[in-house]
Amino acid sequence: MRLYAPATVDQVVDALLRQPDIAASVVADERRPARPAEAAPLPVWLDQRLRDGLARRGLTTLYSHQAAALEALHEGRDVMVVTPTASGKSLCYHLPVLQAVAGDPAARALYLFPTKALSQDQLVALEALAGAAELELAAAVYDGDTPAPIRSTIRTAGQVVLTNPDMLHAAILPHHTKWFQLFEQLRYVVVDEAHLYRGVFGSHVANVLRRLFRLCAHYGSHPQLILCSATIGRPGALAASLTGCPVTVIDHSGAPTGPRRVVLLNPPVVDARLGVRGSTYGLVERIALAFMRAERQTIVFARSRTGVEVLLTHLREALREGRGPRERLRGYRGGYLPSERRAIEAGLRDASVLGVISTNALELGLDIGRLDAAVLAGYPGSVAATWQQMGRAGRRLEPSVSLMVASSSPVDQYIASHPAYLLAGSPEEARLDPDNLHILLAHVRAAAFELPFEPGERFGEAPADDLLAFLSEEGHVRQADDGRWYWASENFPASEIPLRTAAADNVVIIDTGGPRPRVIGEVDLFGAPTVVHEGAIYLHESRQYHVDRLDWDERKAYVRPVDVDHFTQAESAVTLKILETFAREDAEGGSRSHGEVMVSRLATIYKKLRFTTLENLGWGRIHLPEMEMHTTAYWLALDPAAVAGWRRDEVDVALVGAGRAMQTVGSVLLMSDPHDLGLVTQVRSPHLQQPVIYLYDGVPGGVGLAARLHERHDELLAGARDLVASCPCDAGCPACTGPRLETGDDGKLLAGRLLAILAPGARRAAA
Amino acid sequence: MVAGMAGDPILRAQRLERLRALDHRLTLATHLPPRPSPAPPPDPARRAADLARALDGTVVEGRGGPIVAVTEHVSLPLDMPALVGLPLDIDPSRPLVLLDTETTGLGTAAGTVAFLIGLGRWDGASLEVRQLWLPDHAAEPALLDALEAFLPPAACLVTYNGRTFDWPLLVARYRLHRRSPPELGAHLDLLPVARQLWRHRLADARLVSVEAGVAHLQRHEDLPGALVPDRYFAYLRDGSTRPLLAIGRHNREDVVTMGRLLQVLARELAAGEARRLAHPGDVAALARLLRRRGRRDEAASCYEDALAACERPDAPRTVDAGSVALEHARLLARLGRRAEARGIWQGLTHRGGEVALHAWLAMAKDREHHLRDPAAALAAAGEVERLLARRRAMGLFTRDLERDLPRRLQRLRRRAAERQVRAMPSRAPRA
Repeated sequence: MRLYAPATVDQVVDALLRQPDIAASVVADERRPARPAEAAPLPVWLDQRLRDGLARRGLTTLYSHQAAALEALHEGRDVMVVTPTASGKSLCYHLPVLQAVAGDPAARALYLFPTKALSQDQLVALEALAGAAELELAAAVYDGDTPAPIRSTIRTAGQVVLTNPDMLHAAILPHHTKWFQLFEQLRYVVVDEAHLYRGVFGSHVANVLRRLFRLCAHYGSHPQLILCSATIGRPGALAASLTGCPVTVIDHSGAPTGPRRVVLLNPPVVDARLGVRGSTYGLVERIALAFMRAERQTIVFARSRTGVEVLLTHLREALREGRGPRERLRGYRGGYLPSERRAIEAGLRDASVLGVISTNALELGLDIGRLDAAVLAGYPGSVAATWQQMGRAGRRLEPSVSLMVASSSPVDQYIASHPAYLLAGSPEEARLDPDNLHILLAHVRAAAFELPFEPGERFGEAPADDLLAFLSEEGHVRQADDGRWYWASENFPASEIPLRTAAADNVVIIDTGGPRPRVIGEVDLFGAPTVVHEGAIYLHESRQYHVDRLDWDERKAYVRPVDVDHFTQAESAVTLKILETFAREDAEGGSRSHGEVMVSRLATIYKKLRFTTLENLGWGRIHLPEMEMHTTAYWLALDPAAVAGWRRDEVDVALVGAGRAMQTVGSVLLMSDPHDLGLVTQVRSPHLQQPVIYLYDGVPGGVGLAARLHERHDELLAGARDLVASCPCDAGCPACTGPRLETGDDGKLLAGRLLAILAPGARRAAA
Repeated sequence: MVAGMAGDPILRAQRLERLRALDHRLTLATHLPPRPSPAPPPDPARRAADLARALDGTVVEGRGGPIVAVTEHVSLPLDMPALVGLPLDIDPSRPLVLLDTETTGLGTAAGTVAFLIGLGRWDGASLEVRQLWLPDHAAEPALLDALEAFLPPAACLVTYNGRTFDWPLLVARYRLHRRSPPELGAHLDLLPVARQLWRHRLADARLVSVEAGVAHLQRHEDLPGALVPDRYFAYLRDGSTRPLLAIGRHNREDVVTMGRLLQVLARELAAGEARRLAHPGDVAALARLLRRRGRRDEAASCYEDALAACERPDAPRTVDAGSVALEHARLLARLGRRAEARGIWQGLTHRGGEVALHAWLAMAKDREHHLRDPAAALAAAGEVERLLARRRAMGLFTRDLERDLPRRLQRLRRRAAERQVRAMPSRAPRA
């Protein structure tokens, strides 16, 4: 094949797979057939102007899922639309909203998007549709960028207000009296990209929605809900915990797709002893280059902003050497100017841009048309996100291809050794716990600020009185003569609650290296002593920073950029105390439980380790207070008989190694970041007098991870056993039983032996 | 549902109990008041009666619960006709109502309550001050009823920063109770007025500063506003009424002071002989206000009064009469009273300093564009150049003038030369 010759995606893939090292990397190569469109007529009740508007844009029928959503809404039900990327989900909410406004100009709708860019994008789409239908529509984005002079106009006259949960939480709900026209006439609440509202963020958003619905009830409106989501497991359960309402789930897409090929690759092992594999980005580059030289529109997803820039530089370099279309290759990530981003999106739609290297910013529903090939550098962290990103490739009729190249991280390696998990398995559930006590209390404060609570009034499932009584002890809330609970404080509670982290009390990291100090990040208080202690090397966007000073009382860490050949690793003495057992069942080799625990961590020393060799270059002491966290945990207590005859140190190593593998598999199963799950092992638990492996929820109060692990114990153990068994390293590596520093030379062997006891039975077929 | 998860009330009670025992630092806000003693059972009537006794007021029964009203009469004659003439948009048919609130916080979000509304309205020469107190959150509907009842139809509300704070906050309270706020006839916010008229001679535009500097009143032991919310919360918790007395006094003073400021405005700044005895800076500021409102003739006479006030032997030295005269002349020129303006400019050229510079410049423009005499204009511009040079020698720079002047001089020289040539046609083209 010549370097620059147009070719089909299949030809490109076949040519790539003829190269021996790439062929050796393939762990799965699957073809999915094309699917024709399933059309449905426009509903008879649809406003004539909207029919005309759609006709002007060439639409005389809908896809079946759009029609089903409209019908369910027409019947007064709440709906959740769960279909793939670019299947026309947004029409499922724009049409009913425009129908409502066409029938009654006083009607209002509120759109929630997780990012500002999506709000802008959908405003353009909504206005275009209204314009085509020749409907007068006052729609506006209300977010932090909205200029002050037009804010009051939007408040009083905006028929459709597009915003984000943070803005709703901090600017709209606390000022609801200025929005009374909206709250009195609210017909629809649209929650797009609902699958992103999971974990801590989701738990916060669920409470923000409780507050929203509470105010709607006060103003006498009963808005219908329209949720849209990428394909995830049990979407109805997500909708129920996010909104507190049962919804009609519409998950059969009627949008057509061309044939698609999905290829998973795992770079070959280059050092079996350490389990080191070939470069992910190197392979991604070769693949992306082949597609672009064949004139195929390609999107590459990198895992970080730095990854985007590195790939962009290398690919442009390669394209220049071969006189390729380098000007038609663009980067896309947060930090680019909005106008620049809009230009790239338009360029993708009209094919003037041939290739784009993006962070997950383009995974969301921004309209960039459909491309020929998607190349994922690493597993995006969940099955749902993987399909979202892969779904960016997929034209209506022509074939497309999606490739994922695994990185050497434990989670990626788990996926690479279990391709069926991704290809055949159902996507994960998005989990959240709106009743996390800490989050719940924070939002009850905010809700009391907004409107007094009636005695016995429910907030979520249960009456809030006990929470309010608790808050009244602090003096922020008081029960008045009429029995209602009123806010009684000067504070503005919403401003004290950041939605995207669990605790307000974070340590802020300040870069003092530049001309003026700049905040570059935050770490939660519990994690701070091991991450930003004085002398630590803090990594941020692949840059190294040295922590010069940690002002503990002010919660500030002062850092400056450095370029050194080592990193630091803090050691801490972690103790875990069981406070309450919620459930306990017998399990193979012992018992499984979950409940409430207290984790205490005292950072003791830190080591300086050389990057490549992990050689110890020195150490220092950490003088910081012991941190305590009150959270939930899942634990596996071993029957002492199961490890009868083992030496104590063997049990110790086996627990740590098995625990690491369980931590990895657990984070895959729960669609969470591996850091969200903490690991503690005890050779002899003071509480249970048995060897125990604990996985605890890294958020104060927990967001339900522990309970889910308890439920999925069998899958968790089988997965951990397979992960260790199938890892090509010889004696344990970061991808299976953890760094060898932790477990020593017998780690993998012992962990494997232990896991075989805890999860007996044949190894599940990998495919 | 997984056992032990969401919504299990017994479990939640246990978890709350453990949270109580824990170090709060990790979980909730940082400022924690001491745990209060258990509150006595609510007795709204007694609570209101205690408050009324402490404040020397009366209990008023209403929706939601009783409120407390404190009424007082203060002699404060107001010359309405004089006030109506000022550029404050006061309509004599709309009764003035003074209003100032004390609140549980800053901002106008839904969690901030006005617990004391201080009001004032005139009955002849007497100002009736009415303070409406909220003894308990529950009685807010009654408080809002009482406010509505006090406001006559189409009232003109008079506040200090009430346009951005007090009134929007009260509107929010009505909205929260799903009621329409009372209709106002007009709203006069004295804060921007004070900034325009008096700020030039005061350290800041806070009401106490204006009161001291303009109405010559000095408060004793005034309560800092930051202490107000805490005192009210303490009262709600334990019923202690004594700390509220200072809040009541502070609010009453604020209401009365607004009345006094209107009195000062009517007495000192209304058109007439009195204005010449007022602070010349205030009168000049009023002239500017009139000019901006388009009341140019009145502005011109107000400038005259300001200049007359400057001439007074006791006039403060802080006002630059020359600048005021320049503004006056510029306005007269705009009004077409150029002869008068020229007289003023001519007079100002003898003053020296920057004023003379601007006077010569104004004359240069006038001679060029209106008298159409480039030679005379050139002479005036030459004076400007001479004065600028002298100032430069003293290390004083007048940058915009220096930047523009060369072009002006060049143009005037050219025009003057052209005029000369045209004046001598016979000698022109032959050569």
